[in-house]
Amino acid sequence: MCLRSSSYTSPKPCKHLADYKLRHAFDGYDSLQNCLKTTPIGRTRVDNHNTKIPRCNFCNGYLGRLYICLMCSSISCSTHILLHTQSKSGHDVAIDIERSELYCCLCCDQVYDPDFDKVVVSEQIKGSCPGRSNKRRRLDSGMELDLKKSKWLIAMRDGRAKSCYPLGLRGLNNLGNTCFMNSVLQALLHAPPLRNYFLSDHHNRDECKRRYGEKLCLLCEIGALVSAMFSGDRSPYSPAQFLYSWWQHSSNLASYEEQDAHEFFISVLDGIHEKESKVRNSSKDDGDCQCIAHRAFSGSLRSDVTCTICGFTSTTYDPCVDISLNLDTVNLSAAEKTGLSTLSGCLNLFTRAERLGSDSKLHCQNCQELRDTSKQLSISRLPLVLCLHIKRFEHSLIRKTSRKIDQYLQFPFALDMTPYLSSSIVRSRFGNRIFAFECENSDSSAEYEIFAVIAHSGMLESGHYVTYLHVNNHWYKCDDAWICEVDEGIVRASQCYMLFYVQKLLYYKANKDLSCNASVESR
Amino acid sequence: MSGPNEDNNTQLSSHIFGDLLDSIIVDVASECHRIAKLGLDRNLEEEEEEMRLSAQARARVADPSNSSETNTKYVVDIFGQTHPSVATEIFECMNCGRSIAAGRFAPHLEKCMGKGRKARLKVTRSSTAAQNRYLRGSPVSTYSPYSNSTSTNRLSNGTPSVAGEEYSNGTYEEPWNKT
Repeated sequence: MCLRSSSYTSPKPCKHLADYKLRHAFDGYDSLQNCLKTTPIGRTRVDNHNTKIPRCNFCNGYLGRLYICLMCSSISCSTHILLHTQSKSGHDVAIDIERSELYCCLCCDQVYDPDFDKVVVSEQIKGSCPGRSNKRRRLDSGMELDLKKSKWLIAMRDGRAKSCYPLGLRGLNNLGNTCFMNSVLQALLHAPPLRNYFLSDHHNRDECKRRYGEKLCLLCEIGALVSAMFSGDRSPYSPAQFLYSWWQHSSNLASYEEQDAHEFFISVLDGIHEKESKVRNSSKDDGDCQCIAHRAFSGSLRSDVTCTICGFTSTTYDPCVDISLNLDTVNLSAAEKTGLSTLSGCLNLFTRAERLGSDSKLHCQNCQELRDTSKQLSISRLPLVLCLHIKRFEHSLIRKTSRKIDQYLQFPFALDMTPYLSSSIVRSRFGNRIFAFECENSDSSAEYEIFAVIAHSGMLESGHYVTYLHVNNHWYKCDDAWICEVDEGIVRASQCYMLFYVQKLLYYKANKDLSCNASVESR
Repeated sequence: MSGPNEDNNTQLSSHIFGDLLDSIIVDVASECHRIAKLGLDRNLEEEEEEMRLSAQARARVADPSNSSETNTKYVVDIFGQTHPSVATEIFECMNCGRSIAAGRFAPHLEKCMGKGRKARLKVTRSSTAAQNRYLRGSPVSTYSPYSNSTSTNRLSNGTPSVAGEEYSNGTYEEPWNKT
C-alpha cells in the first residue's frame, strides 16, 4: 500500500506570518502559553489573568471580536486592529482572544501555523477538557434533475450473442426462502480479497480433508462455491451443500423461514473464523486474527467516554467486522424529516459525541464519583473491505411492535472515510488544530469504491433481497437465479440494506485482473 | 415601570443578544475558515456530484413513463436463459439421499435434519423411518411423515429481522458483532 498523505494540508504561511516566525520564532507563542485557558466546553481563549474585561486600546470597546497583539499584548477590536499594526511597525500578527486563532492584520485574514496549534493543543490536553463537536459545513447541493425522457430500461441483451461477461457471474437457485443467503453469497464471493484467496486455492479442499478429516468446513464450502461461480458454467447453481454445512454450523439459524441477510453474513464470517482458529489452535484477538474473514473485514472501533465535569476521557478499542448504522432521520419529528437521508449523515450520526442520559452515569476515575458522560465513536483502523449495514427497523417499546423503515438512503459510489477516522474525530475535538495526534494512522487508504449493494424490498415480515454487483464497470443485478445488467441509476435509486466497499487501490487492481475472455478451470 | 428605563433595558438586552449572536456567527465562520484552509472538506465537489447523480436516478425511477424494473423472474437473463420461478434442478439430499427439487430443498432439509419447530415434534418418527430404510435395504419410496405444504407461488423471502438491539431512547448499544 502506498503512503497516504495527511488528511489535512498545512497551508503556506502568508509573508507576514513567515517574517514574524523568522524574527521571533516561538517567543510570542511561549509567552502566551500561560495565558491560554480552555473552558469546559472545549473552547480555548486567551486570558490575561486580569479580572478586568478586555477592551480595545483605541475605543475602549469590549464588544465584537478582540485581538491581542503577539508583540506587545495590546488589545484591539476588529475595527482598530489595522490602526495598531500601522502605528507599530512589525506588529503584524495577533490572536483572536475568544477563539485562539492567529490573525494577520495586514492580510486581514485568519492564518494558520502548526507550531501555534501545537501550543494550543498542548494546553487543551493539559486542561483535558472535551472539545466541541465538529460542525461540518453543509452546502445545499444544487440538484438539477435531468428529466429527459430517454429510454431507460434495464439493458436486456441477448446473451447468446455476447458471451463475454465477467467471470464469476452466475445465478444462485433459491432453495426455498433462501434469497437472504444468495444475496450475501453474491457479495462475499465478489469481495476481492475473498475471491482471490479462494481462486488462488489458498484453502485447498483435498488437503483440508486429508489433514483435518472433518466433514464440516465452511471454508471448503465457500471454496467449492467460488469454483462453481468462476467455472464458466452460466446455468444457475444450487448452493445446497453450502446450506447443509451452514445449518450444521449455525444450528440456531437452521430453519426454513425468512431470515436476515446481515445475520447470515455475520454467521458466515464466524464460521470461517472458527475453522481458522481451530486449525491454528490459537485464540488470537480478533484484531490480529489472520483468517481470511478477518483479514478482509476486520477493523477497529475506538470509543471515547468523557466525563462532562472534568473532561477526563477513557478510551477503549473494539474489533468489528462491519458497522451497523442507524438512519440519520430517525428520532426526528415528522416536520423535521424533510431532508434527504444520506450515508454520510448516518456516519456522522455514528461518530457524533453523544451525551448519555443521567440515568446512565458512569464512574469517573478522576472525580471519583458517578458523573454524566459523553461518548464518541470513531474508526481507529479501517478494514480492507468495509461492510455497512443499514438498520432499517424501528422498535416501538410502547406498542411492542417493529416495523421496517423504507426511507430512501442516498449513498455514494466513491466513499472517503477520512472524516470518520479516530484521527479526524479526535482532531475535531481539539478544534481541528494542526497537530500530530497519537492516533494518526497514515499507512492505509481511507478511499473506498463500492462493489456490491444488497437491497431489500417489501415488509419486515416478508420481503425480497437482491444484490447489485459492480464488475468491470458494469452493474449487474443478481436476483436468485437471474443475472441481469442494469443501469447504475437503478442501483443508486435502490433501497440499500447492506453496502460493500473495498479500498480503492484493491479495487482497481482487482478489476484489472478480471478479464472476460479467460476461463478458469474448475478445481 | 417607567418608560425610559424599560426602553433602556430592552435596548440593552437586544444589544447583548446581538453581540452574542455575532459571536456565534464568527465562531462558525472561524471554524469553517479553518476547515477550508486546511483542506478538510476537499471532497465537497465529489460529494455534491454523488448527490446529483442519486437525485437524477431517483427521478428517473419515479418517472412513470420509464419502464420500471419488471419482475425479473419472468425475463431472460444476460446469458439468454429463462428460469422457472421455483428452481427445478434435481439433486440428491446429502442427509438422506433422496432426490429433491432445488426450490424445495430448504423445507425438505429442515425436516430431514430435524431442525425447525414442526420437525422437532415428529423427530422420533423420522428416525425410525430411517432405521427401517437401512434394515430393509430398499428405498422408502413414497413414505413421507409430513406433507409438503409449501405454496409454490410464494416469492422467495428474506427479511431484516430484529437483530436484538433496542435504541428507543437514542442511546446506542454496541451494534457491531464480534466473531
